[in-house]
Amino acid sequence: MKTVRWLVLCLAFLTMISGCSGPLSSESHSSESNLPNHKKITLTLWYWNRSIDDELLTRAEKQFPDIELNTQKIGGDFKAKLKTTLAAHSGEPDIVALNDWMVELFPSADRFYDLRTLGADQFKDQYLEWKWNQGITPDDKMIAFPMDTGPTALFYRSDLFEQAGLPSDPAKVSATIRTWDDYMTAGEQLRQKVGSRSFLADNIVNVYNQMLAQNTDLYFKPDGSYIGNQSPHIRLGWQTAVAFHKKHLLANADGWTPEWNASVNNGKVASFVGAIWMKQVLTEAAPDTAGKWRVARAPGGDGNLGGSFISILKSSKHPKEAFEVLTWLQNPEHQLEAYQKIGLFPSTPGVYDDPAMEIPEPFFGGQATGLIFAASARNVKSSYFGERYPVIHGIVTRRLANVAKQDADPDALWTETQDRIERELQR
Amino acid sequence: MLREIWKHRAVYAAISPFYLLFGIFGLFPIGFSLYLAFHKWDGIGDMTYNGWGNFRYLVTDNEFWQAVGNTFAIWVYSTIPMLFFALIIAFLLYAPFVKMRTLWRVGFFLPNVTSIVAVAIIFGALFANNFGFLNYLLQLLGLPTIQWLNVPWGIQIAISSMVVWRWTGYNAIIYLAGLQSIPHVLYEAAKMDGATGAQAFFRITIPMLRPVILFTVITSTIGGMQLFTEPQVLVGNDGGAGASGMTIVLYLYRESFVNNYFGYGAAVGWGMFLIIALFSIVNWKLVQGKK
Repeated sequence: MKTVRWLVLCLAFLTMISGCSGPLSSESHSSESNLPNHKKITLTLWYWNRSIDDELLTRAEKQFPDIELNTQKIGGDFKAKLKTTLAAHSGEPDIVALNDWMVELFPSADRFYDLRTLGADQFKDQYLEWKWNQGITPDDKMIAFPMDTGPTALFYRSDLFEQAGLPSDPAKVSATIRTWDDYMTAGEQLRQKVGSRSFLADNIVNVYNQMLAQNTDLYFKPDGSYIGNQSPHIRLGWQTAVAFHKKHLLANADGWTPEWNASVNNGKVASFVGAIWMKQVLTEAAPDTAGKWRVARAPGGDGNLGGSFISILKSSKHPKEAFEVLTWLQNPEHQLEAYQKIGLFPSTPGVYDDPAMEIPEPFFGGQATGLIFAASARNVKSSYFGERYPVIHGIVTRRLANVAKQDADPDALWTETQDRIERELQR
Repeated sequence: MLREIWKHRAVYAAISPFYLLFGIFGLFPIGFSLYLAFHKWDGIGDMTYNGWGNFRYLVTDNEFWQAVGNTFAIWVYSTIPMLFFALIIAFLLYAPFVKMRTLWRVGFFLPNVTSIVAVAIIFGALFANNFGFLNYLLQLLGLPTIQWLNVPWGIQIAISSMVVWRWTGYNAIIYLAGLQSIPHVLYEAAKMDGATGAQAFFRITIPMLRPVILFTVITSTIGGMQLFTEPQVLVGNDGGAGASGMTIVLYLYRESFVNNYFGYGAAVGWGMFLIIALFSIVNWKLVQGKK
């Protein structure tokens, strides 16, 4: 009797403990069949929904018969989960997808394989140079391999542009609205003709972000020194964004909010500069305006915002095989496929001339927007972000938002921002 | 003593899961956060000893003090109406003329079990600047609209209203339990002495409820100081326009998990601990009265 009681207790305890250590992933589909007749290597891959085509991952199993690919689609805060895992030094995947926040991982570059030691250089020619360079740390380690990119362009409502007496054909828009000043002038014309029913752009932070996305000198030099207080690009971006607000050209619709969705759907926003992945966001947010949107080259030049990378962690026991899988997944052919299937824009310029780029899109009035983004992607300049980019950029954009939302004095805020950054850099 | 423990080992084994889990998931993190507060750590690389550096930074950090101010403002905007309404609701639930009391009790308690994220999304739609429901109502009435989520008090009212919505019923149930524990004889005696309803309420109900009120004030102080999900979902990691919705815990979260200053985040946590402790003592003194 006593033994039974103990057993029950132990069992109860064990169930409690085991409840805490379930699998990390929300979805996991490793193939459990094929018991090892010959030794199979297991590679774990972490990605988030729509960062890699699921069907391609299934095909990878056939492509590499000796590798069992344990793909884990990580939901929720991917970055936090990856960092926690890195900090814990356990349960790390072999291959991991990274978003553009991967600059934050540069100080921990030793936790990743330098992909060039695995032979990455032989693929270099196939990828956009600026994209390739982004994955390389200042001390010259390549820790991240290109996945998709985020070339930017001007999204605009052709009907509203027409009403305002502006050019509405993408080629003409690209030709006439070439600079941010041109764009601002167009906005004033729109304001005169259409009134306050429609605004030229969505919000002040997006204007600033887009200007930065087109520029080379950002907040830091590769040696780590801060240049944000003297870089003409940063100051000009701030001033232009403020000018947009002062001229009442902004709908003040923050990105990723229901307000933004409503504003693009009901015509309050007549245009915005955005990366290619905004296509999907826009299509889902503004179904009522289908057919009215067009895409032209961005005012102020071509830029890039976002895009992702893929890496191999140092803890992996099979870096060679992991590298084979990684380069196979991201080869030009598969990048093109991912573009067609889930809209990930290739970082392999070789496929930009493919007919797939010329498929007309009904939401954009039958325009083949792929061509615009391809041209944009080719022209992006290499820029250096630095691992503290996200923090510093956050400090600046939060204050910039206050200019638009609370009518704060932009000059006083600029000084305050620089003081705040100086303090930030000291800790 | 060890022999006593061994004699009752089955009992100790039965209660051990709590202590083991508390040790792993409660005690250890507390100790570790104290250790962390004296270090610099980006969450992945090596920790470096920073002495009192994090705390020195903390006391001169405008953003932290703004977060403290915001948290207090939200606490005041939410706790006072919440406890007031809760008391009234409890009184009504206890009143003999109310029918279907269980149904009402369940109804008032229901908001408490709703997911905060869902609540925050709904309230976001209510308070939205341009296409929000409240502004729609204001427009219908011919009143000027309010940029709720652009002005500091607007953001704070929006967050407070979420707290009020969620916790009023909870506190009402606690008050109800308190009311039920007051002996009937007191009221009967008061009635015989010719006391009015109001007199009975202020002279018997409130004094007898004092310990319960103290309990709700302290729990809502702790809850209010730890406000996180509501502002995070409503206005984002940066606390919205002018960081007016930045609460202490949201700041802790942003510094640690967004900006990767884990050591500093831990220091913020300990700063918050001190503030809650002080504030609870002040509340205790106030509600306890002169005794």
